[in-house]
Amino acid sequence: MNSLDPFFLILQGLLQGAGITAVVTLSALALGLALGFALSLVRQFSRSKVLHGLVDVYVEFFRNIPALSHLFILYFGLASLGFRLSSMGAAILGLGLIGAAVTCDIFRSGFKSLSPGQTEAAFAAGFTPMQTIFTILTPQAMRIALPSLGNFAVQLLKDTSVVSAIAAPEIMFYARSMVTSSFQTTLIYATAAGLYLVMSLPLMQAVRMLEIRYGRVK
Amino acid sequence: MISFFQPYVEYGGEWLPVLLDAMLKTALLSLSAFALALVFGLLLWLFQASNVPALRRFASLYVTVVRGVPLLAVLFLLYFGLPGLGVTFDAFTAAMLGLALCFAAQVAEVFRAGMMAIPKGQSEAALAVGFTPAQCFAFIVLPQVVRVVLSPMIVTFVSLLKDSSLASLITVDELVLTGRAMATEYFLPLQIYIAVGLCYFLIAWPFSLLSRRLAVR
Repeated sequence: MNSLDPFFLILQGLLQGAGITAVVTLSALALGLALGFALSLVRQFSRSKVLHGLVDVYVEFFRNIPALSHLFILYFGLASLGFRLSSMGAAILGLGLIGAAVTCDIFRSGFKSLSPGQTEAAFAAGFTPMQTIFTILTPQAMRIALPSLGNFAVQLLKDTSVVSAIAAPEIMFYARSMVTSSFQTTLIYATAAGLYLVMSLPLMQAVRMLEIRYGRVK
Repeated sequence: MISFFQPYVEYGGEWLPVLLDAMLKTALLSLSAFALALVFGLLLWLFQASNVPALRRFASLYVTVVRGVPLLAVLFLLYFGLPGLGVTFDAFTAAMLGLALCFAAQVAEVFRAGMMAIPKGQSEAALAVGFTPAQCFAFIVLPQVVRVVLSPMIVTFVSLLKDSSLASLITVDELVLTGRAMATEYFLPLQIYIAVGLCYFLIAWPFSLLSRRLAVR
């Protein structure tokens, strides 16, 4: 018996959950980006005060209440009304809806940092409002938003660990269930922590490269 | 709709004191963890700014690890993992320590950004007119840093407050764990978890508004 054997057994067990961690992260990221972008467009470019108010309420609601609380409402709460979501569904929906509030703010600060002269120039050159938003403003706002969006993705990857609390079978879920059947608690949780670190390092590196490329860090 | 609000009317009187107690616990946990995070973060920032390479390397390694490891893993390690190595914390201490260790990195980053916002010329000018370095830091740099740092610090506190909900998973009887116990007792998970969410909102929102108010443009 090699002394590393238990470590590899644990790693093997945890890797069963790594796929789900990746799926939840990517799906919630996609939902968060799409919805957040749509919300930021509404908040930034619509003239309706009512719509502004609704977006603001949405953002405040999701940014001032913990993910765990939202997940419990979606998973346990809605079930009592008869809307039974799977744990994966609730996890992706919950993290995606919260993510949309975060990315909405990120996109908005991207849009806000653009000079109003650009819109005026585009209008003067005969662009329609839609063309101005999508061909002139959005590409630039995206560039500014990219590093923050990268940080959001790293944070999201870590936050998926929370969905183990509603029994979505990701890394932390396997870690917790392995702990109940073995006594290697320290090793199991340390390995899980290491696995998350290994998964987020490439993302963090990518964020650094974006920051250097777009001039936040010199 | 009536039946949704019915339980609040019926049990509100029983729930309110329990939730208030739990809110107090959440606030206590968040505040003590934040105080500790400020201390750790300040140390970390001093390490980052020091001219000892080993300290700088430690600080950068620490930040990388903390940014890549979920809080939940840290909490489980501290509470369930460390007893295996002979170190035992009670749940509240483990939660406080875990939150502080994770948020120290963010606090250090806020300090760093705050210091960078103060032009070097100010210290140079202060030294030139005869301030000692300590006086320069205390009277010229620090007051400005505090002003710049206040808003992002409050944002950090709100994040910490929200993340303190994870302490429920290591048996700290704060808002979420109290909510879980109530949900099993009353079989009203929707109403109770919404109430729990609102309790967080009541604490967090004023701080969020304040941070926006104080933001230095």
